[in-house]
Amino acid sequence: MRCLRSLAGATIGALLAALPALADELPVPDGPVILTVSGEIAKANVGDTVQMDLEMLRALGAREIETTTIWTEDMQSFVGVSLSTLMEAVGAAPVTIHATAINDYAVDIPHEDWSSGGPMLAYYRNGGPMKVRDKGPLWVVYPFDEDPMYRSEVIYSRSIWQLDRIIVGD
Amino acid sequence: MDVASSSDPVSDRTAPDPSGPPRTGRRGLLARTGPGRATSLPTITATVAASAAVVVCLALSAWLAVAVLRQIDGLSDSKSDNLQWSLSQAQVEFDRFRLALEQARHDPAAVTELRQTFNIFYARVSIVERGNVFRSMAGDPAFVGPRAEVRAFLDDNVDLFDGPDEELLAAVPDLIPRAEAVGEDVRAFSLAALQAFARLSDERRASVLRLLGWLAAVLMATIVALGMLAVSHFRLFRLAERRADEVETAGVRMRTIVQTSPHAIVVTDDVGRIREFNPAAERILGNDRAEALKRDIVDLLVPPSERARARLGPFAFLSEHRRPARGERNFEIDLQDNAGRRFAAELAIDRASADRPIYVAHIRDISRRKRAEEELMQARDQALAGERAKSEFLAVMSHEMRTPLNGLLGTIQLLNDHRMTERQAGLLARMKGSGELLLGLVNDVLDLAKYEAGMMKADRKPFSLERLMQGVVDTAAPMARSNGNALDWSWTGPAPTHALGDARRLRQVLLNLVGNAIKFTRNGSVELEAEYINATEVEFRVIDTGIGIAEADLERIFHDFETLDSSYAREAGGTGLGLGISRRLMRLMGGEIGAESGPGEGSLFWVRLPLEPVEARPGAGQTRDGAAGCEDKRLLDVLLVEDNEANRFIVREMLALEGHRVVEAENGRDGVETAALRRFDVIVMDVSMPVMDGTEATRRIRAGNQASCDVPILALTAHALPEELARFREAGMTACMSKPIDRDLLLQTLQELARGDLPDDTLDAGPSDTGADRLPRLPLLDEALLSVFLSRVPQDQAERLMARFLDETEAEVLALAEAGLAPADLGALAHRCAGSCGTYGAEAMRAALKRIVAGVKLDSPPDEAELAALVPLWRDTRAAITARLRDRMAEA
Repeated sequence: MRCLRSLAGATIGALLAALPALADELPVPDGPVILTVSGEIAKANVGDTVQMDLEMLRALGAREIETTTIWTEDMQSFVGVSLSTLMEAVGAAPVTIHATAINDYAVDIPHEDWSSGGPMLAYYRNGGPMKVRDKGPLWVVYPFDEDPMYRSEVIYSRSIWQLDRIIVGD
Repeated sequence: MDVASSSDPVSDRTAPDPSGPPRTGRRGLLARTGPGRATSLPTITATVAASAAVVVCLALSAWLAVAVLRQIDGLSDSKSDNLQWSLSQAQVEFDRFRLALEQARHDPAAVTELRQTFNIFYARVSIVERGNVFRSMAGDPAFVGPRAEVRAFLDDNVDLFDGPDEELLAAVPDLIPRAEAVGEDVRAFSLAALQAFARLSDERRASVLRLLGWLAAVLMATIVALGMLAVSHFRLFRLAERRADEVETAGVRMRTIVQTSPHAIVVTDDVGRIREFNPAAERILGNDRAEALKRDIVDLLVPPSERARARLGPFAFLSEHRRPARGERNFEIDLQDNAGRRFAAELAIDRASADRPIYVAHIRDISRRKRAEEELMQARDQALAGERAKSEFLAVMSHEMRTPLNGLLGTIQLLNDHRMTERQAGLLARMKGSGELLLGLVNDVLDLAKYEAGMMKADRKPFSLERLMQGVVDTAAPMARSNGNALDWSWTGPAPTHALGDARRLRQVLLNLVGNAIKFTRNGSVELEAEYINATEVEFRVIDTGIGIAEADLERIFHDFETLDSSYAREAGGTGLGLGISRRLMRLMGGEIGAESGPGEGSLFWVRLPLEPVEARPGAGQTRDGAAGCEDKRLLDVLLVEDNEANRFIVREMLALEGHRVVEAENGRDGVETAALRRFDVIVMDVSMPVMDGTEATRRIRAGNQASCDVPILALTAHALPEELARFREAGMTACMSKPIDRDLLLQTLQELARGDLPDDTLDAGPSDTGADRLPRLPLLDEALLSVFLSRVPQDQAERLMARFLDETEAEVLALAEAGLAPADLGALAHRCAGSCGTYGAEAMRAALKRIVAGVKLDSPPDEAELAALVPLWRDTRAAITARLRDRMAEA
């Protein structure tokens, strides 16, 4: 049953992405909203923002990154959606995005970074959802082990956890 | 040699030849030998050291670079995000939590906010705890304590915050004061972390600085090493430059040497192709350098017919690509120049081993030297031949002179037998003295000549020393007596009877010394002593009490023709050769001779020579066996029966010199008596003697049954005709020998007779054959004499004289042949006839007539056959003269 729902969600997401005519119309999230995207976006579901729950994010497709981080011990397994996929899903303009966390930490991620396919919005860590206490519910992670260029202060500063808001553009 | 045909090759060569190989190539060929390498060794060592230093520095740099890169890597991999931010956030988030607590005490709606802030703080603390920086501070009590407090607060309340709202709200008032306390811990913990971080930063900076310092040091070292390398490379460069200069200089020098060498120098490569050809080679071989280059050396130098042999022979090393062996490096060979002239050349060739070996050949034209050598050799041969001819001539002449001299002396003795006036006898005695002196001189010269011609060799035969000395004393005794001297010999020490040596020559020397001693001593004594001074050497001493010799003259007396006082010497009858000959003979026998004397003190002459003592050989004469016996000269006991004192002297001398012991008898009767007393080995018997002639004496000796009745008897006769020979044999003579006596023949014959051999021709063939062998057969005519006659005398007169000569002689010859004449008439006629034959050059006729004259004179008139033989001889002579006259008339 749950499987079917996720399949349906994925299908809907795919349809939404494939049909510009329906683009303006995004489903309203059923579960608790964990992410709000605003700014220069082509889509919206609540006001001129896109509000998303876990199901909606998962519907955008899943990707896994296995890596170590400087904030954790041992190898970590993250599952989430690529930032580029998400931005495409909300019809984001090709500009810098401004990401803000629950603890009011905020960082800018330039377009060339988020569209590169590197950064991912993780919603699962080590097989389960992340609590706020464990830097959840959303964490922007990069495949740090994959490329030394992801192991820089700038990238670390962009790896924002407890993310809950994204503003595209200024 | 052939300069005219080639186009002035010498001046061409002084300028560099544009057609030749490049200069470098030539230099490379000829100037490989550079200066020594010793100078460059330090530089090379320095270079190697510098290079090693550079390598080490580079390795260090690489290692440091790796370290630096690692550091850089570490820096680029940021191990943490902003610590200060996290710490300040922790503070802020804790404050927010406390604010939320305060709010929740009054407003239950703020419970969500409270939970959120707690969770955020919780997350922050977890971050801070798990970050790399904090992990490194695990042992720091300033950090551990507060952290534990914070952690305890969080862990204590986490269930509360996860629990229902009501419980949480109810707990708020309790939480507030606890939070107050934890706030202090959060602060302390932040401060500790900050300090730790600062310390860590410092450490990292220090480590980087240290690393950079190392790097800088290593770089410095590298730079220094590179500098050293540069310096040593510069020095190597200078060295190479200098060496290149030296090589250039050596090359120039070598080129000059090669260019100016008077010998052809040809350099070839490994297979014999010519690579270098110097001006001398152009001159000697007649090839231009340009045309000689690249050609094969054998093809160029060796005549076509000789090439194949040359390649297999002297030039074999070329095809075998090896260095010529020591014996192959120098050889003489016939070469051919460009114009086809062949010449003898001397080649010196060797291989210079290098990466590309070359052969260097020096060629010298030695044809002129060869010619000079040949001429010199010829000249030397001629000179030697001349010298030899002279010596031989001298030897032969001396020998030949003795024969007539013997005859002369014999004739003088014959004259003595005639009745003469006192004056005539005196003259004859002086003549005889002079003749004997001359004979001695001739004998001396003969010895000298033989010695100088190298014809003399020392014998090495056993002989009796005792007999030798006795013989010397016996021989010299008459002379000693006439000078009033006592003469004796003695042995000092043990005396072996026989020794190995040349008895004849030793005897000659001793006789000479004894003779000298006697000559220079009057009424004194002469002693002959002998002594073995060691096992094989004998010293003979001749001691006299004579006038002595001044010490200054002692050496001089051994020189040839040296007489100290010529007047005295003349008186004593010395030739001045005796001691010189003695010295030579001693040298020949391996001994020496010397004298000690002083004026008035007498003299001591000594000789020392090796004479190896041997066992006495019993009956040496009978040991003859086979051919070896011919060489075996036995010392003989000879009875010499001769009335003529000169002849006796001669024969005695001949025999005594050989070491034979000679007993003399003055006539036949004496001889018969002496022969009866003891047994001799052989008897030498003159035929015509006063009192009793030889034939009669022989007959008596044979008839008597005395000691020597059967010993061989040798007849000596001046004329021996076949019938006489028969008569001699009939009388019992064993052999016959004609006068003048040939010493060697006499000695040989005596030896044969003593051995019991009958010489096969002595009696039968007769001495005329011996004489004929010695003298060349006389020509019919003396052409020279006849020519003189015919050219001096006017033709008509000559013809007249000749005709008369022919007619008269014809009649005389016929008269002679009639053989009815009395001996005296026969002699007179033959004499007159011989005189006219001599005048007209009928030489053979004259000689034949002379023989008849002599025969008549010597009491042995010619027989019929001899007289009859005159007729055919005359016929031949007459025919020859007639022919000669006809020729002469035809010429006119």
